[in-house]
Amino acid sequence: MNKKVKQIISLMAVFGCIAIASSSCGKKDPNSPGVEFMPDMYRSPSLETNMAYVTIENGKETGDTLQANRMPVNGTIPRGFMPYAYANDTAGYANAGRYLRNPFPANAANLAEGEELYVKFCVHCHGTGGEADGLVASKLSGPPPSYKGPVLMALSEGKMFHSIYYGKGIMGSHSSQVSKAEIWKIILHIQKLQYPNGVQAPAPLAVDSAAVVKVEAHK
Amino acid sequence: MDTICKQSKKHFLAIFSLLFLSFFLSINPVFAQDGEKIFKENCAVCHSMGKETVTGPGLEGVMKRVPSEEWLLKWIKNNDALIKSGDAYAVKINAFAESQMTTFTNLSDDEIKSVIAYIKAYVPPVKKVDNNAGGAAGAPSEEEGNPLTLLIGIIAFLIIIVAVLRGVRHSLKNLQNEKLGIPEIEKIGAWTEFKEWTRSNKTTTGVFVLFIVGGLVSAGWYALKDIGIYANPETKLEYNPEQPIAFSHKIHAGDNAINCQYCHSGVERSKTAGIPTVNVCMNCHRGISKGQSEAGTAEIAKIYDAAGWDPQAAKYNKPQKAIQWVKVHNLQDFVFFSHQQHVKVGKQECATCHGDLTTMTTAKQVQPLSMAWCIDCHRTTEVPGMKDNPYYESLHKKLAEKFKNLPKDQRKFTVDKMGGIECGKCHY
Repeated sequence: MNKKVKQIISLMAVFGCIAIASSSCGKKDPNSPGVEFMPDMYRSPSLETNMAYVTIENGKETGDTLQANRMPVNGTIPRGFMPYAYANDTAGYANAGRYLRNPFPANAANLAEGEELYVKFCVHCHGTGGEADGLVASKLSGPPPSYKGPVLMALSEGKMFHSIYYGKGIMGSHSSQVSKAEIWKIILHIQKLQYPNGVQAPAPLAVDSAAVVKVEAHK
Repeated sequence: MDTICKQSKKHFLAIFSLLFLSFFLSINPVFAQDGEKIFKENCAVCHSMGKETVTGPGLEGVMKRVPSEEWLLKWIKNNDALIKSGDAYAVKINAFAESQMTTFTNLSDDEIKSVIAYIKAYVPPVKKVDNNAGGAAGAPSEEEGNPLTLLIGIIAFLIIIVAVLRGVRHSLKNLQNEKLGIPEIEKIGAWTEFKEWTRSNKTTTGVFVLFIVGGLVSAGWYALKDIGIYANPETKLEYNPEQPIAFSHKIHAGDNAINCQYCHSGVERSKTAGIPTVNVCMNCHRGISKGQSEAGTAEIAKIYDAAGWDPQAAKYNKPQKAIQWVKVHNLQDFVFFSHQQHVKVGKQECATCHGDLTTMTTAKQVQPLSMAWCIDCHRTTEVPGMKDNPYYESLHKKLAEKFKNLPKDQRKFTVDKMGGIECGKCHY
């Protein structure tokens, strides 16, 4: 074989190999966070939120990893927590409607906060105007009712609170996402959507002695 | 006279028929269209027209189940009163229900009748048979062979071919030699022959050796770069790990425009934004069991599995399991970072650090999360939440006093001017 032809062939082989090598090296495994050469404090000895840890049973590490988000110890409550006095049943729903009143006045600040919260937590199903025309609503097996229908127009604020706190129908409980105060502010905004000219003052608060006893018992 | 009489008769008939029509209308003020509207506003939340249970039972064949139409009217209007009156069927069906049905005392009898008429007249829409459904939707991705095993396979194949050809060449040469009367040559080992070949082809060998050495060096260099996890700005930006459930931010936050905070609700009140617990998924997915493709439906089934939800029975009756999400954005334990501070007071958009997730199917790290990156941002960003916040009032006044002699463009109250690049701010 001619020497020149040989050289050309070998050069071509080299360039081909380099091309293959450089293209295969550029791609990283998307699942790998990288090589930890030395412990770099990415894993904290104290429990941090949303991190996986190895569970220890009888002084030995088990193979199972465990997310740090766990149920609180039985009987513990968060700071400033007040128990909700009404049970998640028909009687509780009726009683909430009868005895619960919004502690927040419908002033500008509360309404503004209510609207902000409504946009974050409600709008994708219930729609901006409360007419159940949110983007998700059409995908649900049962679309939510419009706030302006006769049944919801007549709904008492206590029942609204109860529905958001425990969930109603296919809507789940939102108590893990919004605090009680935030629920009341959202209700202020919903009532503003229903009655743009102002809400009629609800009936004066009746005292539910049973609920008071329950709250006292929780303290 | 005769014609006048006829005309008046005609008028009389017309007026009479109009009156009759209006009378007919007055006793039927609500039409079936209204029934549909009322149904959609009030009933469709809990009742499907088919067999499946949503919250209440499906309404297919409901007219055959209930005792009578009058009973159904009473039940819809005030089921509570009907149960309390001791009606046998009402008590029986209430025993099965998870929660009691809403009473509709503010709907008139006519309105409820129109709803019943709508339910009776309902014909399920004929489903279009989509021929492309199977092909277009969950088309399985082609299985890609591992390139390394492929390479090893090719090399092994070539070695076998070379060995066979060497044997063939050797015997052919001997055959030729036999014909020419030359004595049989001895078989040379492959290694010896290779050494001889390298001696006679020095240029080619040299090039190959260079290539191998170069390849090893570059591989080593890349391996060195790979050291350091999460934060390596040069290599780690492609970190988008596979999650236990193939959750798509694009579908949720992009197509359906669900606010980030609906799921990451801790962002304004906690150090961490929070990974939503499965109950948050179920807030919508109790009502959405089908994905955009078959693969999507399978992923939604994983949520049900974790939540212990039985979609057929519409009940939480199975054991719950934890979903082990893989953390994408991770900071070392020696850095203090609070989402609350950055979102509530700093008024930073999620996308500033996490990228535009409304276009990402899998969440990936787009910023290096390095100290240089933090400090760069702290040097240029003002704190909008500081204004009108009484907590910062005195600080704001002091800063204004301190910077009043600076040129105007340097008078911005950026984070670093408030001690935002002090070591102890983040490392303590």
